[in-house]
Amino acid sequence: MTKVFLIGKTVAMIKVRVMESSVDTSPLAVQTMGLTKRYPLAWKRKLLVALDHLDLQIRPGEVYGLLGPNGSGKSTTLKLLLGLVLPTEGEAHIFGLPPDSLEARRRVGFLPENPYFYAFLNGDETLRFYGKLCGVTGSKLDKRIEELIELVGLQNGRERPLRSYSKGMLQRIGLAQALIHDPDLLFLDEPTAGVDPLGSSQIRDLILRLKKMGKTVVFSSHLLEQVQEVADRVAIFSLGKKVLEGSLDTLLAGEQGTQIEISSDLTPEQREKVRQSLTQAGVGGDVRFSRPRLSLEQLYLQTVQPKTAAPAQETSRP
Amino acid sequence: MIASLDRIITIGRATLVEAVRQRVLSVLLIFGLILVGASVFVSTVVTPGLDAAGLFDEQIKFVKDFGCGAMGLIGFAIALLSTAQLIPQELHNRTIYSILAKPVRRGEFLLGKFFGVVLLLALCVTLMSLAFAAALYWQEQQGIAFAHGLYDQQMAGHHTPEEAKAIEAQYQKDIQDIVGKVRDPQLIEAILLIFAKLVMTGAIALLISSFATSSIFTIVTTFMVYLIGHMEGVAREMWLSRGADTTVWQSAMVGLLSMIIPDMNSFTIVDEILAGNRVPWEHTFNLLGYAGVYTIVLLAVSEVIFRFREI
Repeated sequence: MTKVFLIGKTVAMIKVRVMESSVDTSPLAVQTMGLTKRYPLAWKRKLLVALDHLDLQIRPGEVYGLLGPNGSGKSTTLKLLLGLVLPTEGEAHIFGLPPDSLEARRRVGFLPENPYFYAFLNGDETLRFYGKLCGVTGSKLDKRIEELIELVGLQNGRERPLRSYSKGMLQRIGLAQALIHDPDLLFLDEPTAGVDPLGSSQIRDLILRLKKMGKTVVFSSHLLEQVQEVADRVAIFSLGKKVLEGSLDTLLAGEQGTQIEISSDLTPEQREKVRQSLTQAGVGGDVRFSRPRLSLEQLYLQTVQPKTAAPAQETSRP
Repeated sequence: MIASLDRIITIGRATLVEAVRQRVLSVLLIFGLILVGASVFVSTVVTPGLDAAGLFDEQIKFVKDFGCGAMGLIGFAIALLSTAQLIPQELHNRTIYSILAKPVRRGEFLLGKFFGVVLLLALCVTLMSLAFAAALYWQEQQGIAFAHGLYDQQMAGHHTPEEAKAIEAQYQKDIQDIVGKVRDPQLIEAILLIFAKLVMTGAIALLISSFATSSIFTIVTTFMVYLIGHMEGVAREMWLSRGADTTVWQSAMVGLLSMIIPDMNSFTIVDEILAGNRVPWEHTFNLLGYAGVYTIVLLAVSEVIFRFREI
C-alpha cells in the first residue's frame, strides 16, 4: 500500500506497512511492571531514585506523551525501554519481548534528546550507517534513504557533514535514522527541543502521519500544546513517579464546577436575569451546561508545580 | 552470524573513517612518514675511521633502526590515542545511544570499534612500511652507485685479464652484499611483530576504556601496563629462576603479573632482526600467536565488562 504525504513543501512517497490486522492480536507495544531505577550516590551513601515503580501499558497504534520537568524520570524511562540501562527492580516488555533483545530493537526506532551523530559523516552516510546496522542493505537501503531524505526535507543537506547542520536539521536527520528500518514503535525524546516553530509543526505533522500508518509513538516533550494536539494519552511524571495518566479528554475535564455556554452575546441586564433565573433553578431554552475544560498547561502546572522545589528524590541506602 | 559480522564491519569502517578524517591522527601519520623518510639523510652523518663498506653497513643499519623505531613509536601513539578515546568519546558525544538502540549487541559495538582501530593501524603500518621501503631503496641505489664508481676507478688503469677478472668478481660481490643487506626478508618479520605489538597495545587500551570514565585515565594506565609488560620478563627471570632468594608471595605475584599482563619484552626480538641476526619464522609465528591469543582474551574480558556497564 502506498500513500502520499505532504511535509512543508515536500511531497514524499512512503511505503506503508499495514498493521491493522495485528493491532488486536499482538501484545502491548510497551508494558512495564514496577519498573524502578536507582543510582547509587557513593559519596553521599545514598540512592538516587530516578524512576520509582512505573506501571505502563501502551497499546499498538497509540501516541503516548510523557510529560514532566527535567529530572522527573522521562529519559530514564526511555533508556530502560531501550535496554540501554538495566532496571534495579521490575520488568519491561516491548511487544512482549525483553527490551535489550535484538528482536525488540528491530521493531523500535529511537530519537535521542539533543541527537548527536558522527559529525564527520554527511546526511546520506549517516542514514547508510544506521541502515546497515539494522540489516537494511543494497537497493532497498538506497530507496529508503531517498524516501526519508524527502520525508524530512533534507535534500539540501544530504551531502553536507553533520557538523555543519543546524539544530533543526540534526533533529530531522535524527528522525530519519529512527525510521530507517521502518520500525513499529518509535521513542522520541524531546523531538521538538530547540527546533523553530515551523520545524516543530512539521515534526508534529510527522507524528500524526506515523499514527495514521499504524505506528506506536512514545514521546516526551515540554511543548504542552503540541502534546495536546497529537497524544492519545499522556502520563505526567514528577520526581521519578508517574503521578497522572489518562486520555486527554478525561484528564482535561475539570472535576468541580459548571461551565455555562451561551451561544449569543448577553447584555449586563440579560446576564443578571440569567443569574437570577439560575438562582431560582429556572433554565432558559438556549442555555447549555458543560463541565469546564482545563488546558493541558494548567493541568501540568497543577500536577507538577508544588513538588518541583526538591531537585531529586533520594533515599538512604537500605 | 553474517549479520553480526556485517554490523561489526560497519562500525569498524565508520571508526576508520572518523580516525582518517581527524586531523590529529593524520598529522601524526605524516610526521611518522617524514621521520621514516628522513632516516636516509640522517644516516649520511659519517662515523670517523670507517672504510666504505663499514660506512655503508652503518648507514643501512641506521635506516633500519630509525625506520622501524619510528614505525613502532608513531604506531604506539596512534594505537593508544585512538583506542583510548573510543568509548569515552562515544559516551561524551552521546552517539552510543543511537547505535545501541539499533539491533546491535554491546559486544558487536566494542568489536567493531576495535576492528576500526586495527584497520587504522594496518593502514598506518602499510604507509610507513612503504616509506621505509623507499628509504631503503634510496640507500641501496646510493650503495650501488658507490660500488660502480669504485669499479670504474679500479678498471681505469692497465690490468692483466686475471686482475680485471678479480675486480669484476669483487664488484659483483659488493653488489650482492648491498642488495642482500637492504632486501632482507627478515624485515617482513620485524614489521609483522611491530604490528602485532601495536594491536595488543590497542587491546589493552580497549580493556581499560571499557570501564574507565576518561581518556586520560586510559592513556596513563595503558602506558603503565605497557611499561610493566616490558619489565615483567626481567622480574620473572630474577624472582622465578632457580636458586633465587624470593618468598612465596613474591613468586606468586610475579606469576600472576605475567599471566595478567602480556610480555611486551618478547617483541624486542625485532632488535635482533635489525642487528642482522637470524630469527626463525617459527619463533615469529609463535610470537604472533601469543599476541593473537592475548588480544582475544583481552577483547573477551572487555566485552563482559562493557556488557554490564551503565551508559
